[in-house]
Amino acid sequence: MSVFNLNGKEVNYAGSPAGRLLDVLRGEWQMTGTKCGCKEGECGACAVIIDGKLTNSCLVAMGSLEGANVTTIEGYRETQRFAALDKAFEAVSAVQCGFCIPGMVLAAECLLSANPHPTEDEIREGISGNICRCTGYGPIIKAIDMAAKEGDGLW
Amino acid sequence: MKSISRSIPKKDHGEKMRGQAMYVCDCPTEGILFGRMVRSSVPRAKVANVKLPTLPDGYCYVDKNDVPGTNEVLMIVQDTPVFAGETVEHIGDPIGLLCGPDEREVLRLAGEVEIEYEMLEPTFDARESDVVFFDYAYEKGNTAAAFAQADHIFEEDFETGLQEHMCMETNGLIAGSSDGKIHVHGSLQCPYYVHKALVHALGCRPEDVSVAQDVIGGAFGAKEDYPSILACQVAVAAHKAGKPVRVIFDRKEDIECTSKRHPSFCNYKVAVKDGKVTAMEIEVLYDAGAYTTMSPVVLQRGIIGAPGIYNVPNLKVHGQSRKTNNVPNGAFRGFGGPQTFFAVEMMMEHVAKNLGLEPVDFKLAHLAKQGDSTSTGGKYHFPVPIAPMVDAVLKASDYRAKRAAYQNQTGRYRKGIGLSAVFHGGGFTGSAERDLLKSVARLHKDKDGNVEILTANTDMGQGLFVAFTKIVAETLDLPHDKIILTMPNTDRVPNSGPTVASRSVMVVGELIRRAAVRLKDEWKDGEEQTVTEHYKHPEFMIPFDIKTFSGDAYPTYSWAVNAVEVEIDTYTGAIKLVGGWGSFDAGTPIDENILRGQMEGGFVQSLSYGMMEKITAEKGKIRNNTFSDYMIPTAMDLPKLEILLHVEDYPGGPFGAKGGGELPHVGGAPATIAAIENALDTKLGKAPFLPEDVMNHLREVNR
Amino acid sequence: MVKSFAPTTLAEALKLRKAHGLTLYTGGTDLMVEAKEDASYLFLHKIPELKEIKQDAQYIRFGAACTFSDLIDHPLTPKILKEACGQIAAPAIRNIGSIGGNIGNGSPKADSALIFMVTDSLVRLVCEDGERMLPLKEFYLGRKKLALRRDEIIAEVLIPRQNLDNYYYTKVGARNALAISRVAFAGILDVRDGVIRHCATAFGAVSDVILRPAEIDAMLTGKTLTQAKALRQDYLAAIDQVIVPIRGRVGVEYRKDVCLNLVRDFLDVNGI
Repeated sequence: MSVFNLNGKEVNYAGSPAGRLLDVLRGEWQMTGTKCGCKEGECGACAVIIDGKLTNSCLVAMGSLEGANVTTIEGYRETQRFAALDKAFEAVSAVQCGFCIPGMVLAAECLLSANPHPTEDEIREGISGNICRCTGYGPIIKAIDMAAKEGDGLW
Repeated sequence: MKSISRSIPKKDHGEKMRGQAMYVCDCPTEGILFGRMVRSSVPRAKVANVKLPTLPDGYCYVDKNDVPGTNEVLMIVQDTPVFAGETVEHIGDPIGLLCGPDEREVLRLAGEVEIEYEMLEPTFDARESDVVFFDYAYEKGNTAAAFAQADHIFEEDFETGLQEHMCMETNGLIAGSSDGKIHVHGSLQCPYYVHKALVHALGCRPEDVSVAQDVIGGAFGAKEDYPSILACQVAVAAHKAGKPVRVIFDRKEDIECTSKRHPSFCNYKVAVKDGKVTAMEIEVLYDAGAYTTMSPVVLQRGIIGAPGIYNVPNLKVHGQSRKTNNVPNGAFRGFGGPQTFFAVEMMMEHVAKNLGLEPVDFKLAHLAKQGDSTSTGGKYHFPVPIAPMVDAVLKASDYRAKRAAYQNQTGRYRKGIGLSAVFHGGGFTGSAERDLLKSVARLHKDKDGNVEILTANTDMGQGLFVAFTKIVAETLDLPHDKIILTMPNTDRVPNSGPTVASRSVMVVGELIRRAAVRLKDEWKDGEEQTVTEHYKHPEFMIPFDIKTFSGDAYPTYSWAVNAVEVEIDTYTGAIKLVGGWGSFDAGTPIDENILRGQMEGGFVQSLSYGMMEKITAEKGKIRNNTFSDYMIPTAMDLPKLEILLHVEDYPGGPFGAKGGGELPHVGGAPATIAAIENALDTKLGKAPFLPEDVMNHLREVNR
Repeated sequence: MVKSFAPTTLAEALKLRKAHGLTLYTGGTDLMVEAKEDASYLFLHKIPELKEIKQDAQYIRFGAACTFSDLIDHPLTPKILKEACGQIAAPAIRNIGSIGGNIGNGSPKADSALIFMVTDSLVRLVCEDGERMLPLKEFYLGRKKLALRRDEIIAEVLIPRQNLDNYYYTKVGARNALAISRVAFAGILDVRDGVIRHCATAFGAVSDVILRPAEIDAMLTGKTLTQAKALRQDYLAAIDQVIVPIRGRVGVEYRKDVCLNLVRDFLDVNGI
């Protein structure tokens, strides 16, 4: 049994400690905002935030989560910071197929919370583990830059 | 820009941002059976015996014997079986499908199915294959005479490799039955392709099947032909099991077993007289893989574009698509165009160099212009804006100064810049829009004046629903929120054709625009009204004959000029993209952000097709079957790209729009390879060109 | 029955290790790719002793459960190590991937391990009955083979305190992020008063284990730059002999060419 905090609420998990966080989120708890792209940590579609750090949930064993704080897109979308990113992504039509977006948004959050005024290169590095096949990244980088500027003070 | 081009929020933005969009993998799985394909592990063999493990209650196995209709997937030619028949023809060829309520157990059981094979001799190299699936040829002018009179004759071979779509979302579908009907939904571009395939395989009436689209996590052609295969398989399983069946591929299966871009082998022979190209003789060969799928039309598009954007008075083109025992190749953004455009752009580059001329000037001197005849004796009915687009790209990239500066470099890091100019013909080739598709689109107005757009076209992230909404809203002078547009279900929407071939805005968009004009004329407040429009072939088109390859292959063309700058580390072979510039003419943008997004995203796929993406297969087995092994660019692999929009209105498209989706994937690779050539001061004829190729090249040079 | 444990002290962890063996889990970035359903893990990332970074008179000491991000953010981490860690995969991997795991999976492509090799670092292995220190080079027995006993845990990696300022590091991957090394090279040259006090090189991703040709590097130690320059061809010839790449995602010739180019450049930039 492990107990941890998921999107601000305490959760108990009694299943196999070797289970993947990604599978438990999507399967058992039906929180499908976190996407599965590769199951090997190489695409970032399943990124969540654990104890303030961007983490690929496909590479996290449930048994490692005791006492951790986990934020998924389902929790993050209720925040003001999300609203700022949402507005910016919308303004430049940065969302195409959308499959990378929940992970991308959480990568943007982790980047901006560590570095509220990133340069273009820093944005590129911040989202470098999040593959997007549709956009070529340009609009996403523009949106993160815009959110950083217009949401100044939020991060 | 016209007012319609001003961007509005995408319809699917909010739900995708919030993680609430329902992709097929997000659909509830209660009461569903999970399916796992049992596939051939050998490239070519007779299937002598299939030995199943003991299946627990509630588990079932389906194969060719369970197909109620015909064991064929209805495509262009009926050679793809739903499940393998007597033989398997490639590694991954589906033999059966194992289904059951527990996913892990299904995986285990599927792994325990034993197949006995009687091996047959496979072929992996299309050049060595003696099975020709398709053979086309056309000729114009007098090629023999032109070669006889030539001052110079240049001949060269070109090769391009497989390209994997690498959609973030793999292929996946769910089939189930209710009310005596089979329902299939999931990640698919073309609901009616799937619908027709199901009717054929299930042997039922059209009204016994419905097909619906779920939110799609990327397609690029990956979900054009392939879902027809998968749909038949899951539907047969659901039919037998009497329960819904879901199959979603894992990443390895998606890479190893689904269609990719055709590898190509081209030979170009060019006659030059008085400094001008007078004739080309072109041989094109595409590796179709084990079954024909989309290969005939991919090859048609390839050979029609073989002489590029140039006016070549004497032309002889021959193309073949041959069978191999590789995974069948199918649709991929560009659809046969990127291969021959790569070859012709490199050929023109090299001919210019052989003549001691700057390639850009040489290319400009050969441009086709409005009124000229096309490769197939059709006509460029509308302006060819390449010259001003080249100008814009030369300026933006500082091409000429850089080209001059990048001569005779000797240091560790060497820079290069290259340029390509290409077209993409919008819509289906020739008269297929009129003779095969016969698209129908509909608008339905309710009593409150809300107008629903009813078409079979899908938004897979490219923004089609925004485009359709704007076309109808602008025509009817209604606010966007009065327009209703949901993901298509064949029960509700007419067949407006597939979402492929850069046709949706240009062809179907025009249909709904015309419907909106009629609705406006006939508008009656407070009443329900329905307007249906049928495809009308542009009258100006010179009729196309597919047997002789003569006439207008496309009503109009979209144009692109790309420049790419690279820096090569001669110690490691690393190729760094330093800059990318593209001018694109897809007519009037229906939404500027969306068109820019399409251009930039497609351009990037095309750049990495040139210098990063490579499938490595050994004896038909794909080795690099993961995200860490098949390279596509991360945000750190790209510079800021400059996207310029050039607008030549097309009067046959809504608000002047032309095809856009595929255009950016045609010219990136040749521009990239031209840049690498410039840096290494050599001539290259293959894509992709990778760091290892750089080092091999340097080793050769130094030897 | 699958059983896993998440101890919070090292003593507890060692007891569990001795009693049950278990699969050692720090970041999970390699283990979870396989995600064996029946794996029994000993989670080590909650043990404070394994998360420390400190120094003593001889060594900078890194707890084995430190993540790459921990190292990048820490003032004691030598620049060469920061640079290598900064090029591993992408932020989400660097945030959980650990140096203990990087060493412990035994891959010749491990990027932090390359730096620990070139710096002649030691590993401190602990068990319930005691502990031992082993040069990292001796810890690797072969491809994926380690001198780690069934009751032992990698507790620390110790970098000898030495002059690491003049280093050379190049990772060659297939792209700029999310890339596994196809060739990686690290070199250190400590030159004082025109004399080479220490020279060390290491090559990753070319062979079954990371190559650390200390005996060849010794050719240059104690030599003036001028003397070293005279030995350049002999040195390169000797390096050429030990680089025997294995075939992988890229060919043998490619790996060899790149290694030699990078060594030559390492000498060039140092005036040798």
